[in-house]
Amino acid sequence: MVDKPKSRRVRPAPAPPPAKPNFQLRRRLLIGALSGAFVLLCGAVFYRQVIETDFLQTQGERRYLRMAEIPARRGVIMDRNGEPLAVSTPVETVWADPRKLMTQLDVLPHLALALGFSASALREKIETNRERGFLYLKRRVSFDEARNTRLAIAQYKIEGVAFETEYRRFYPGAEVFSHLIGFTNIEDRGQEGLELAYDNQLKAEPGLRQVLHDGRQRIVEEIEQIRAPRQGQDLVLSLDRRLQFLAYRELMSAVKKNQAKGGTVVVIDANTSEVLAMVNQPGYNPNVERERGGNGGNRRNRALTDVMEPGSTAKPFVVAAALERGLITPTTRFNTAGGVLKIGSNVVRDTHNYGNLDVTGIITKSSNVGSVKIAQKMDYAALWDLYDRLGFGHLTGVGFPGESTGRLRHYSRWRPFEHATMSFGYSFSVTALQLAQAYGVLAADGVKHPVTLIKREPGKAAFKRKSVRILSVETTRKLRAMMETVVSDQGTAVKAKIPGYRVGGKTGTAKKASAHGYGIKRYQSVFAGFAPAGKPRLVMVVMIDEPGGKDYYGGLVAAPVFQKVMEGALRLFNVPPDDPQPSMLLAHQGEEEPENNTP
Amino acid sequence: MMANVKRTPRPLTRRRSRPPQLDYPLLICALGLLAFGFVMVASASMSIAERCCNDPFFYVIRHAFALTLALGCGLAAYFVPLERWERASTILFLLGILVLALVLVPGIGRSVNGATRWIPLGPLNLQPSEFVKLFAVIYVSGYLVRHASAVANQIVGFIRPMLLIGVAAALILMQPDFGTTAVMLTTVMGLLFLGGASLLPFAFLIGTVGAGLIALVIFSPYRMKRVISFLDPWQDPFNSGYQLSQALIAFGRGEWFGVGLGNGIQKQFFLPEAHTDFLVSVVGEEFGLIGVVALIGAFVFLARRAFAIAARAEALDKRFAAHVAQGIAMWLSLQAFVNIGVNIGFLPTKGLTMPFLSYGSNSVIVGCVAVAILLRIDATMRQLAIETAPKPQQGVRWARA
Repeated sequence: MVDKPKSRRVRPAPAPPPAKPNFQLRRRLLIGALSGAFVLLCGAVFYRQVIETDFLQTQGERRYLRMAEIPARRGVIMDRNGEPLAVSTPVETVWADPRKLMTQLDVLPHLALALGFSASALREKIETNRERGFLYLKRRVSFDEARNTRLAIAQYKIEGVAFETEYRRFYPGAEVFSHLIGFTNIEDRGQEGLELAYDNQLKAEPGLRQVLHDGRQRIVEEIEQIRAPRQGQDLVLSLDRRLQFLAYRELMSAVKKNQAKGGTVVVIDANTSEVLAMVNQPGYNPNVERERGGNGGNRRNRALTDVMEPGSTAKPFVVAAALERGLITPTTRFNTAGGVLKIGSNVVRDTHNYGNLDVTGIITKSSNVGSVKIAQKMDYAALWDLYDRLGFGHLTGVGFPGESTGRLRHYSRWRPFEHATMSFGYSFSVTALQLAQAYGVLAADGVKHPVTLIKREPGKAAFKRKSVRILSVETTRKLRAMMETVVSDQGTAVKAKIPGYRVGGKTGTAKKASAHGYGIKRYQSVFAGFAPAGKPRLVMVVMIDEPGGKDYYGGLVAAPVFQKVMEGALRLFNVPPDDPQPSMLLAHQGEEEPENNTP
Repeated sequence: MMANVKRTPRPLTRRRSRPPQLDYPLLICALGLLAFGFVMVASASMSIAERCCNDPFFYVIRHAFALTLALGCGLAAYFVPLERWERASTILFLLGILVLALVLVPGIGRSVNGATRWIPLGPLNLQPSEFVKLFAVIYVSGYLVRHASAVANQIVGFIRPMLLIGVAAALILMQPDFGTTAVMLTTVMGLLFLGGASLLPFAFLIGTVGAGLIALVIFSPYRMKRVISFLDPWQDPFNSGYQLSQALIAFGRGEWFGVGLGNGIQKQFFLPEAHTDFLVSVVGEEFGLIGVVALIGAFVFLARRAFAIAARAEALDKRFAAHVAQGIAMWLSLQAFVNIGVNIGFLPTKGLTMPFLSYGSNSVIVGCVAVAILLRIDATMRQLAIETAPKPQQGVRWARA
């Protein structure tokens, strides 16, 4: 047993190599080292995937998580027949990741060309925002710009430029509706007009969602919806687009023809006091960005924001007040005393000497002296009370931003001459809509319906509750008969005559007050009227501001506009004629014409 | 012995009735990795392919073609007898060096991202460094058999093979391909270590190579930058640390079980090279820790299998076969280790594919050829074991060896 190791020790001595390498140990060592490496690897993977995961995911989220808006559409504004007047159409907005664009500055000229920038301007824009990850390059681009940008991105492999859907407000009614509807700003919020007044109803609240986007900023997956989008609610106006266009066209040509400064036409429905048309001159196009700026003169909805002294158009109300009290009848006669009446140190004049006139004649000829004499039969409070109840000096309740109340002083502070001028439409001021509303009372047999710009649902109780009787049926019928004489060969507004219809109305030619009083010859020519006079359907007020031509009487300047618009309106609303001409009677032989409608 | 020789006709007839003797677990493991790799390449490359080539299947189709080619090459390699490899070992390696030199000749080699690694051959690009890894293993195995005593006893026996290997390494470094060089050198040194090389020169060489690598990192600024980015990718996550930080985010997103196949986000233009060198991070994101550990497990299994084959060959005194099997085991597991290590920020970033998985025909072809050689060794050893076993019953019991 002892020998054995010795013999082993002896054998290696003659042989050259020392100990034979221990292959098994080496193999084990190597396999052990490899195993250790793999265990280490597993540990490292475990560290990354389980221990460090929160940090890494946060880092990742900073790169691929983004809040994105869910676009929502602002409500459509339409006319009473559902024709769109303000619509939001989807357009594209181009945005960029400046950090990414900084690495590809050579493509910027192509991008600038597509977007209509100068290359240097775009480069500067990118460079000043180089640290940012988001930058609007151009909002609400045109179709061509969007297409060119897409082409450029594809052609030059541009990274970090993406699109987003936004809505652009478009106004098909352009300047015809612009005063009423107004416009929205780039954030799609109402700035003027009904867009502002009904912003809460119309406005859309874009939703918010968290999205995953890929390395090229394209949304890959929606993680969660944080806020649901709220679509705007539509708004149906009482206006009629066809009538509005007609009124606008006629007003524009009248303003042009008379070299006037401006003008207004308001049409309301006699039965419901819905505003059917409301146009102004001068106008602007809300679709054109630069026309929205400026001093605002073109943007004013003059029918609501500007006041005028109603002039002679107020006379029927004086007569109405006296008729209500039984102080006069249509045939009560007044001596206009040569057309001159002294009140204290002031003088009221007529344009001509009408001599002895009955009440109808006072309206027909528009005698100032006559209406003062009627007014003098009443105390101050009686006149003020009617004016007040007709709505002068009060907001009409249409809720239009910047609407003017007009001005009607309390009778306790009236002086005698003021009382006199009140009777022919001076010393107080009204808006065109207020005047139309007051004429609506005459047309609606003495009932005042609240005017509105929003379409009325037929038979709604709330509407009837708010309607109040102001004048008796008798009074209004008598008045309407008197006012028909205005639109006759004897009256001041023969130019308002519409064949086939009986038309009632009153002209007004108010001297414009200025800082220097009523001195300079500046007028507002007004015509207010209704048709058909027997059972009126439509009420209209036309005002032409400062006609620059030789004509300035309401009967010559405003009445023709009334005639043209009212004629078209009656046809549009299918109002049957109540004064058929012989030729029409022949055509409808044997048919019962609606003559029985008349009082 | 005589009795055994006389028995040979019998196993032959039995072999005909049975399926061929193969290391099926190894084969299944390798095929499974190839299939998994195909799926992952598809998952990782679709969005990139759609962007670059307007065809989401651009890389998928090419990878399928590469896989077909690779399986064909593997099948062909299986039918090459081991003696043929042994005889041709030096010639093959010299040929490899020649082609490596050709890559560097301007006009022949093709550059991608600043690295000249390919020779265009019609529809394919030949990447000789992939093949040289295999040839180096075969060459060193042959050398170890031929000069066993010199290797064990003389420093010259160690230095001689290292000269040729050094030339190849230098050529690969000039491409530059740091990762492949490291894997090849480590594999070769592991082989020499297992082959019984004396430890002293070995330790000295490790020292020199180590010092050389460090010097290289210091004097080659782009590598320096890479090393720095690997140490802390969050320092500069949008430049030098970009790739690694994105890969790490992929792993972090994966957690335990992953976000599910195809649901990864990092491959969507965040992670460059998602379908090639950084495929494992896509695996990590979509299959989680479980997936990556299973992948590591597959390579460990592969290596174990190869070492087991080597041990059987050694037991039968087939030293060339044993060395080749060991070399392949070390090479494949090392390359997988380095690749995964790079992906998880464990090792500095460098271009090295994941064997069997990554997109790239050369890598897949060489992987298949290597596995085919392993299977061939295994089959040969089984045959030998049956032929040398005293009884057929015992012939089945080699498995423990």
